[in-house]
Amino acid sequence: MKTEKIILSFIATVFGLLVAGIAFYLFQAAKTVTPNNTKAVSFATPTPTPVPSIFLTVDRPKDEEVVTSKILVVGGRTTSNAVVIVITETSEDVMEPSENGDFSTTVNLDEGQNVLEIISIAPNGESIRIKKTVTYSQEEF
Amino acid sequence: MKKTFILFLIACFLSLVSSAQAVTPTPTPEDRLAEIRDQLITNIASRVAALKLVEKRGIIGKVSDVTNTQISVTDLQNNTRFVDVDELTKFSSPNFKGTFGISDITKDSTIGVLGLYNKESRRILARFVNVITTPFIIHGGVASIDSESFTLNITTEEGKQMTVDIENITRTSSYATEEGYIRSGFSKIKENYNIVVTGALSLEDKNRMTATRVIFFPQIPVSPKVNSMLDKVNKSSQ
Repeated sequence: MKTEKIILSFIATVFGLLVAGIAFYLFQAAKTVTPNNTKAVSFATPTPTPVPSIFLTVDRPKDEEVVTSKILVVGGRTTSNAVVIVITETSEDVMEPSENGDFSTTVNLDEGQNVLEIISIAPNGESIRIKKTVTYSQEEF
Repeated sequence: MKKTFILFLIACFLSLVSSAQAVTPTPTPEDRLAEIRDQLITNIASRVAALKLVEKRGIIGKVSDVTNTQISVTDLQNNTRFVDVDELTKFSSPNFKGTFGISDITKDSTIGVLGLYNKESRRILARFVNVITTPFIIHGGVASIDSESFTLNITTEEGKQMTVDIENITRTSSYATEEGYIRSGFSKIKENYNIVVTGALSLEDKNRMTATRVIFFPQIPVSPKVNSMLDKVNKSSQ
């Protein structure tokens, strides 16, 4: 008697689950989605950041350097086919770097703070600028 | 018996301690020398460390704030720098005759500071503070030329439009691969030339400057950035 009850309740549970599953399937199949409720998702392809065709590094002098000599060597490296301009308050120098891109020149400094601007211009016109402050002083402190 | 043994142990320990204290040797001349040497090494090491921590530096910046003991400046790289001032700091200005002090330094003036930079605190202890003027340099493309008023309109890579006055003092030069760097003139400048101008910014108009030196590059085209700016300017003027 007990086993019969258990079997019956098991069958009833399975049957109930089946009915519920069929009902859920039918409900989902009958559901219609209006175009207004849909959202188009588009993945924008990221645009790569343009790589500059030119680089410039100035090894000498160091920024904010204090020197005791009036003549200063300015040197660094850039794109080999670029034109380099070194500008101070009173002078400028235009040069082409060597095959490996190295460049070097000398500038005369004024007493006190001097602003050096180094500009490198690529053959396509793109440019890079670096500003450095160099102080010429013989003061002891 | 046990008690006696413990007491014996304590007595042994105390005697050992007292004997160890008693054996402090009297310093010999060699020991004294070693002590002096160690002291010297310590002193030199601390002095070297102090010297490495502080170095001479010179900066240029625009004054953003001034107090009796400190000046805050914005340097050429747009960083805020703190400059400490003491009784040894000397002040000067080319346009100021007589005594010039910290109270004469005004906000927005450009100063050059020479002093001791502390790498740890990142502050400069100023020894010399001078009011200075720095050259204004632009690089861009020639948008238009006014031959009657001797002015150039230049578009920079940043999209700025500058009117450049060419004066008698202006030194014009050009650079080409074959010719090299040569003296030139205003009449040789053409539209869309790549150009670098050094001069002084007008006090009345931020978009106007007087050129002291002009270098143009007939063989190098205008930067693509400047070109797009020039196109925008041309479209807006049509």
